[in-house]
Amino acid sequence: MFRLVWQELVFRRNAIIGWAVGLCFFPLVYIAIYPSVADEMAGLADLEIYQAMGVNLGNFADWIGSIIVVFLPLVAAIYALVNGTGTLAGEEEDGRLEMLVTLPLPRWQIVTAKAVALSVSAFVILSFVSLVSLLVFQAIEPQLETTVMAADIVVSVLSGWPLVFAVGMIGMFLAAFCPTRRLAAMITTTYLIISYFGSNLASSTTALEPFEPFFLYTYLDSTGEAVMAGQQLSDMAVLLGIGLAAFGLALFFFQRRDLTVGAWPWQQTRASVAQP
Amino acid sequence: MTENIIETEALTVYYGQHRGIIDVDLQVHRGEVFGFLGPNGAGKTTTQRVLLDVIRPASGRATIFGLDCREQGVELRRRVGYLPGELALYTNMKGSQFFEMVEYLRGDNGSRGYWRELAERLELDTSRTIGKLSRGNKQKVGVVAAFMSRPELLILDEPTTGLDPLVQQTVMEFVREVKADGRTIFFSSHILPEVQAVCDRVGIIREGRLVTTQRVEELITQQINRLKLTFATLPADGVFNIDGVSELQRSEQMITLGVRDNLPEVLAAAAEHNIQDIETINVSLEEIFLTYYGKGNREHHV
Repeated sequence: MFRLVWQELVFRRNAIIGWAVGLCFFPLVYIAIYPSVADEMAGLADLEIYQAMGVNLGNFADWIGSIIVVFLPLVAAIYALVNGTGTLAGEEEDGRLEMLVTLPLPRWQIVTAKAVALSVSAFVILSFVSLVSLLVFQAIEPQLETTVMAADIVVSVLSGWPLVFAVGMIGMFLAAFCPTRRLAAMITTTYLIISYFGSNLASSTTALEPFEPFFLYTYLDSTGEAVMAGQQLSDMAVLLGIGLAAFGLALFFFQRRDLTVGAWPWQQTRASVAQP
Repeated sequence: MTENIIETEALTVYYGQHRGIIDVDLQVHRGEVFGFLGPNGAGKTTTQRVLLDVIRPASGRATIFGLDCREQGVELRRRVGYLPGELALYTNMKGSQFFEMVEYLRGDNGSRGYWRELAERLELDTSRTIGKLSRGNKQKVGVVAAFMSRPELLILDEPTTGLDPLVQQTVMEFVREVKADGRTIFFSSHILPEVQAVCDRVGIIREGRLVTTQRVEELITQQINRLKLTFATLPADGVFNIDGVSELQRSEQMITLGVRDNLPEVLAAAAEHNIQDIETINVSLEEIFLTYYGKGNREHHV
């Protein structure tokens, strides 16, 4: 099992390096630039368009909340959904999964190894970004008047991991459920976008309030207070719970999946009664 | 008594409303090389995938070593080597890394390092990244991966696809060595001379149904007699219009017939027309195969 996880991480090494380096764009640009744009940003704090996007620009803590807590996980979630759908449906479509499932390995072990590797790789990427964020913060700290501390920056970056984990597992579940990777990726992407905008709009539109619990971003607090005090543990638990539930569904459907066929579960069931 | 290594009973697979395989009853005996023949889409790969639990049957049952292919898949796959027809490999790994991974994941101890010997015999450079290998060399990687654990049963889906003739010969040597060891091989192929050369028995599948299973030599000797008849004066058309007989060629004094049945009637008809010479022609497995798939034989079931 450990070897399989390690192997999965090795397969992903280029993606891990690429995404880690790419995501460092956020701290290198958006944290570093803050001292020079702080005054301008404060003046834009009340714009409705920013509120709709979950962006609050009042002070440095709000800025970190908007950029690091909101956008960084959003982009990192793209890594999770690409890999979450690719690791099952993608490998099934290109034929590599057939080689793996015909080895003496139970299917649950294959799914678990891939899920662990995906979760670990996302954590590694965010850890690297948190380290770079820390360095950038320390470089600009003398120019700031803020109570945000270095540890707050690291925690803020890493607090995006439960959301990334949840998206990755949803991607894996849909990859085990849908007939094609494209469809699984499309549904996961749509849900991620709806979650992002839905959560932000729900705070200003009462019509969306009933749906708020279904949006992943509801469980990610992007306010300056959350940057300094940390995320609610209950919110983190919900995101982890969603991720684990999706993982359970991925296990359930992959265990029953006819590989190489590309069919919905009910089409596979229908096959058992179809006669020409 | 012959021990069945692979056994299927009324195995049926549908892809939605599309036919996969229908009521396939198959037995592969211990120590034999069994060739599975059929055109594209006949159901060869589907059958092999059901045996390895890649896909599940709509009805029927499949066992290997007496173990249920679905319920005891992990246990039986430990004893089976598989080469898929649509081979896809981890392209960013070196050949040696891939074999070490497969060795580890299979939990092989007894055959550790055997892949080196196989790779050497196939002249495969295992230090190169798989993604940079030619199609033929990638196929060699698949062949080595299937044979490297010295499994009791090998399931090979068109193992020599993409290989040059010399390497095909080497792979056939591997097959003969496995047979000499008393192990079993179940393989599909389009290259009928190689099937004829190494197989003990063949099964022919058409449109999802297994139409015949026979020993290769029986299939060749029993199914068709090809006769070349020479006459002083050529008989009129329709003289050999007999059940189980088809007229293949007619020239000035000669008629070539394919005779599946009613040979005495053919000989009697020929005698009535002053026959001068009869020559029997050896029929290859390829020709027999074509009789099962020829346009005029679509109704033929054995």
